[in-house]
Amino acid sequence: MNPKRIIIDTDPGVDDALTFLLALASPEIQLEALTTVCGNIGIDKTTRNALSVLELAHASHIPVARGCAHPMLHTLSNSGDAVHGTSGIGKSILPEPKSQPVEQHAIDYLIERILAEPQQISLFTIGPMTNLALAIRKEPRIVPALKELVIMGGSLRAGGNITPQAEFNIHADPHAAHIVFHSGIPITLIPLDATYKCLLTSADIERLNKIKSPIARFVGEATAVYMDFYKKYEGFDGCVLHDPLTLAVIIAPELFTFEDHHVDVDISGGVSMGNTFADFMKVTKKPVNMRVALDVRGRDFIELFLERMETLSRFISD
Amino acid sequence: MPKHIVLDTDPGIDDSLAILLALASPEIVLDGISAIHGNASTAQVTTNALSILELANAGHVPVYKGCELPLVQPALVSPETHGNTGLGYAKLSAPLNQARAQHGSDYLIEQIMSHPKEITLVAIGPLTNVAMAIRKEPRIVENVKEVFIMGGAIRHQGNTTPLAEYNTYVDPHAAHMVFHSGMPMTLTPLDVTYQCIFTTDDLNRLLKIDSPITKFIADSTRFYMEFHDEYQKIDGCVINDPMTLALTFMPEICDYESLYMDVDISSGVGLGNTFADFYNYDKKAPNMKVALGVRPRMFMELFLERMEKLAKSMS
Repeated sequence: MNPKRIIIDTDPGVDDALTFLLALASPEIQLEALTTVCGNIGIDKTTRNALSVLELAHASHIPVARGCAHPMLHTLSNSGDAVHGTSGIGKSILPEPKSQPVEQHAIDYLIERILAEPQQISLFTIGPMTNLALAIRKEPRIVPALKELVIMGGSLRAGGNITPQAEFNIHADPHAAHIVFHSGIPITLIPLDATYKCLLTSADIERLNKIKSPIARFVGEATAVYMDFYKKYEGFDGCVLHDPLTLAVIIAPELFTFEDHHVDVDISGGVSMGNTFADFMKVTKKPVNMRVALDVRGRDFIELFLERMETLSRFISD
Repeated sequence: MPKHIVLDTDPGIDDSLAILLALASPEIVLDGISAIHGNASTAQVTTNALSILELANAGHVPVYKGCELPLVQPALVSPETHGNTGLGYAKLSAPLNQARAQHGSDYLIEQIMSHPKEITLVAIGPLTNVAMAIRKEPRIVENVKEVFIMGGAIRHQGNTTPLAEYNTYVDPHAAHMVFHSGMPMTLTPLDVTYQCIFTTDDLNRLLKIDSPITKFIADSTRFYMEFHDEYQKIDGCVINDPMTLALTFMPEICDYESLYMDVDISSGVGLGNTFADFYNYDKKAPNMKVALGVRPRMFMELFLERMEKLAKSMS
């Protein structure tokens, strides 16, 4: 089977960076490009981090397009610093990248790539969806041309991680999420309901670091701040691999429990701003607009992640 | 030196009159038009913009097609106000020219960034293109010379909901992005435009000149007048957009206050409501100049004289 061709729209971010590594380590996937957006941290840092992580993994041939510096309407909060470290990727200090982003804006890059090869590109958004939402409004023909969209975002029954009800990526740009959810693109949503089942522990990091490799070291250093955060604020040992889990939609879909639902996002500006909610009881009679992962065999995914990181680490060893 | 103007517009009857006023005014140069959904669909208003330019022998002015939908809200057009084609009873020839390939929002970015501090942007439709351009290229905020916006209703009631004016109601989220962008803005709300009524007497004065321009003004505004009479009990019609354009070179038509303005995007009955913090409760710095007083006949005489001149040149 040919590998699936994907573009990742991202705000690296610790778990974003781990997502690129997992994509590069997976023969089922061909990573075509990264488009960056502000989110976990500002656009300068997310773009720099995207380039740096690709270089670390000997993948600087993959183009990076720089995207929006602000959410559509919300003001960017810097809450990402506590979670992802001020650099955005924990305690890891990667060298300044030698490569540059492409000249084109991420909005136009997405439009061009999607329209050039209709039904060939799968898009993964693992940050706020500002770039994609504006691309849809600028060029509506990308909607039928996009093969599929996998979103890390939202929380249906699991509660929020930035407000009591809202998940970070959606809350950072709820209006963009609203545009995307109602666009008609075939969507698979990976919400906190599934991602919180996927905990990478300090024992996992020790196992990985038995291989002497810049990749294994990066995973350890990048996740250190992330783990401190989860210990301090959420009271458990380990860190949640939100973004990498999206790739399991391609690599190991059998791990998920999916349901089809009509999912909407609250943009009315009250205490529920950014809350994603499914019409489980079909009270609105609105048609299904996405497939939602409500559960996942989390430890199986972590095992898969570790195996792939071990393979990549052996490949790029000291 | 004439001012360089870029017009973001959804023609639209009064938008068309703004285009004609721009062409008839030696104080300004119309560099280009970006078309935006609003009074009619983007495809329709793009065609209208091209036709009006050709009617006035100005087919050299480039037109760029912009966004087709509001950012978040569903599409809204207003055939009851502007007719099915957006131009009332006027029947213009199909344009010979086509819109340029570049997207309207990219045209705004390119024109502003390639002429720093020289371009005056006049936005007289929903603000979708302008908002898109700001988010894609934030540096246009520092590089645009000034921005004139037709929109909002502050002490005046709305013309679309009891609280909201049409342009801000169609895309309130775009208006919110633009209002809070930091661009140097002047707002022309309904508070002043509703003081300026284009009457049948005004129309009859123009019709003394036999010209395709006066015929167009008559055919388009007759529909508009019927609307204003039926819905708003106004004898004549309100021509919001040309007044906004006129302020770019004749600011003395209005009196202004510097105010902190916001737009309600909280999705309740106030959606699209524009409100000023007159008492500075929020202690926020003013984000625009707002026209709150007007000398209606000063504007109307200017408009009529310019239209007479344009009509004579093409009779």
